[in-house]
Amino acid sequence: MHELVEFAVEKALELGAEYAEARFEEKSGTSLAMKNGNPEGLEVLADRGIGVRVLVNGGMGFASTNVLTKESVAEAVKKAVKLAKAASKVRNEPIRFSEEDFHEVYYEVKMRKDFRDVSPEEKLELLREIEEEVKATGVNVPMRFLRYFDQVWHKIIINSDGAFIESVIPRVSTMYNLVVFENGQMEQAPFVQRAFSGGLELIEKDEPWKWAVKDVMALKRLIYEGEKPPEGKVDLVISPEVAGIAVHESVGHPYEADRIMGREAAQAGESFVKPDMLGERIGSDVVTVIEDPTIPNSWGFYLYDDEGVKARPRYLIRNGIINEFLTNREYAYKLGQRSNASARAINYNREPIVRMANTYLAPGDHSFEELIEDIKLGVYMVSFNEWNIDDRRYQQRYIGREAYLIENGEIKQPVRRPILEITTRALWSSVDAVGKEVEMFPGTCGKGEPGQGVPVWMGGAHARLREIPLRRP
Amino acid sequence: MFEINELILKKAKEFGFGDVVVLSYETNRRQVRFANNEITVAKNWHERKAELFVELDKRVAGTTITELSEENIERTLKTLLANMKGMAPKEDYYGIAEGPFDYKDIPETFDKAIVELDEPNEYVERAINAALEEGAKRVAGVLYTDHDRLYLTTSNGVEAFDEGTGIEISVRAFIGDLESGHGTNSVRVLKKFDPESAGRKAGEIAKLAQNPEQGPEGRFDVIFDPLAFANLLSYMSFMTSAYAAEAGFSFLVNKLGQKVAAEGVTIKDIGNLPNGYGTRKFDDEGVPTRETTIIENGTFRTFLLNTSLAKKYGAETTANAGLVMPHAWNIVLEPGDYSKEELFDEVKKGIYITNVWYTRFQNYVAGDFSTIPRDGIFLVENGELKPIRNIRVSDNLQRILENIVALGKDLYHIHWWEVNTPVSTPYVLVKDVGITRATK
Repeated sequence: MHELVEFAVEKALELGAEYAEARFEEKSGTSLAMKNGNPEGLEVLADRGIGVRVLVNGGMGFASTNVLTKESVAEAVKKAVKLAKAASKVRNEPIRFSEEDFHEVYYEVKMRKDFRDVSPEEKLELLREIEEEVKATGVNVPMRFLRYFDQVWHKIIINSDGAFIESVIPRVSTMYNLVVFENGQMEQAPFVQRAFSGGLELIEKDEPWKWAVKDVMALKRLIYEGEKPPEGKVDLVISPEVAGIAVHESVGHPYEADRIMGREAAQAGESFVKPDMLGERIGSDVVTVIEDPTIPNSWGFYLYDDEGVKARPRYLIRNGIINEFLTNREYAYKLGQRSNASARAINYNREPIVRMANTYLAPGDHSFEELIEDIKLGVYMVSFNEWNIDDRRYQQRYIGREAYLIENGEIKQPVRRPILEITTRALWSSVDAVGKEVEMFPGTCGKGEPGQGVPVWMGGAHARLREIPLRRP
Repeated sequence: MFEINELILKKAKEFGFGDVVVLSYETNRRQVRFANNEITVAKNWHERKAELFVELDKRVAGTTITELSEENIERTLKTLLANMKGMAPKEDYYGIAEGPFDYKDIPETFDKAIVELDEPNEYVERAINAALEEGAKRVAGVLYTDHDRLYLTTSNGVEAFDEGTGIEISVRAFIGDLESGHGTNSVRVLKKFDPESAGRKAGEIAKLAQNPEQGPEGRFDVIFDPLAFANLLSYMSFMTSAYAAEAGFSFLVNKLGQKVAAEGVTIKDIGNLPNGYGTRKFDDEGVPTRETTIIENGTFRTFLLNTSLAKKYGAETTANAGLVMPHAWNIVLEPGDYSKEELFDEVKKGIYITNVWYTRFQNYVAGDFSTIPRDGIFLVENGELKPIRNIRVSDNLQRILENIVALGKDLYHIHWWEVNTPVSTPYVLVKDVGITRATK
């Protein structure tokens, strides 16, 4: 396969490209679902192809094919070059890439328990375990949708600037949707995922059924004991899961350089952040947000991005100050910087664009007890269902699924659907203390057109927000 | 590709599989993306693949074969067989449709002119210029051309072929950071393609949206532009699948025969809609696509079904396979009799929402959700439009359908990045819609 990838790059240069990159991707794996106790069948994932991206006269062209012959790849290269040439005529200025150091590297994530050696029936047992543990709670859960997913993701990236990166990353995950119906009321834990880069041992150790049981018990308690949350200005403690969605939506996304520069304007939108806001304060001193693709076994793991640039932790916010944007080579060049390796593509048939990997609120120095001990009236938001944010990433909302009243420094009864609806600046300026322990949660980040749902982790430490205008439905 | 389908079917039978469905594709797709009035990237995709569904004593499995050699086909079938033998059966599997069927050509689904179109950049420039002429400063968007060939072969006597084309554009125009508008145009034949209309609409709304003020909160009569209402109907389309209902993702659960919308509201799925972006001759088991009334004058009539789910519930398939999950082709909200002007005249004090995104549910089974207006948002007061910003629609999907009070008489066919399932909808007036905003 290496030869075919190299051939694509050489062919593009021969046809007049000033830059060429070819990426072979092969994904193989299994997907299993179980609906209300019934196995839904097996999906065997087997997909591969080559994508070619070129710059010609400052225009960008991309073509892909899943017919892996020399003729078909040559045809794709020809198309990419032709498209780039035509595109260059409708540009105000040529696209240029930043200078980077490139490497020849092979890396892989090892599996202790290789899921390729495990039968689908055995994998289905993981879902059965969730099913049985949920049943054993005695809570009425009339709708149960469970999924198991694994894949080995093999990539070869070669570009005309000297990158030669081959990687093999296995990924494994489970997901559940559980609908609890008790006492004439219905509550739901939808799309709850557990996910890692690595072998089956990671899911087995994580025990997704324990998360399911916790959710079901919490929803039952919410139905029987849940009260209205307090309204008006109260203190709010958010869990690592809620901190995770908040850093992802209101820090990670608005710091994507392509979005800041308007490239995603007709899709995911632009950003309230502008290039000259580097160095500006956006949160309190205790807020540091880190984006790090290199966390071992993380869902968003990679060591080299899809432009072949070596990955490193990125400090998006350091002590409340906007510190760094997420960049690829095109936008690093525009900003006069080096790329910080944020270019990711979800498959051979997608262009690499600026993406997050693993985003988290860095830990502080408070224990959980210290975070809540001086709160007279507040809410502890443990998990969320509904969330969204405007397309400039400034007005967001998160609604609690599991949440509790805090009264005089103690966690009390559950509260129903507390709503945090707040601007980005107010959110991060309101944080006055951050917990010590970091926890991560998986998600699929959506961006790009056609859509590229990439695996990411988001999380961090607990955070205490002062005087938040909390709402209720 | 039929030879390959036949080969896969023959081999699958030799391996002892029961129901077998092979759906092969040859697709050629082009994309031109633009932003800041210039092309950011142009793309081409060429794909050839066979989607395979097999059943063995009620055990079911699916995969996609992209390397279509005899050797790889055999290897794939062998793997499937080995994996399925030890698996527990899907007890509620009831088979695939019994063919053969007759298929009719659907008007305006194929146009050789799109296949032969060499260079679509001219359309992009026309759309950009139309928006700039309206007063926009920056224009972004995407153009696609599509050419697909589908070959379906099943173990129940189906052999079906469909060839389709399409061309579509989505245009977003900006004046400042906060002033934008959006327009789209999606068609299947070139002579109906009107990229300027998308650019013009985007530019017009951006111009009207200048100097917006913070919007109010409370309950308001809301006029949804077709672009905005299509988003809600596209999300709803997933909930009309019987699969989604069983899996706990639908507010329509247990509501067959019940009122779920206002009296005048009829919502259909039309798989054979002429010039519809989701139109196909047949579903994934070969049943000819047709018109299915999901909500009739406010009453919920049926979920979308494939043969197996239909048999499970003692009904007929609605020709919406998805062998695992039935899905809509083109959702159509039947128009009413209001002109756009009459609809706006109905509103003494309300809000006009031109587009929304990021629709998310707190509870799928209850239908509680919120969505965020983007592009021009306007207070409507005695026929005048006043631009506002930073509000959120926070309500319940069934309540929205129940509170529809007027429907425009013209349908707009919407398909873009935020509207996955193509939707035809008029302008829609909904009373008492919940509006919230961030107060800090």
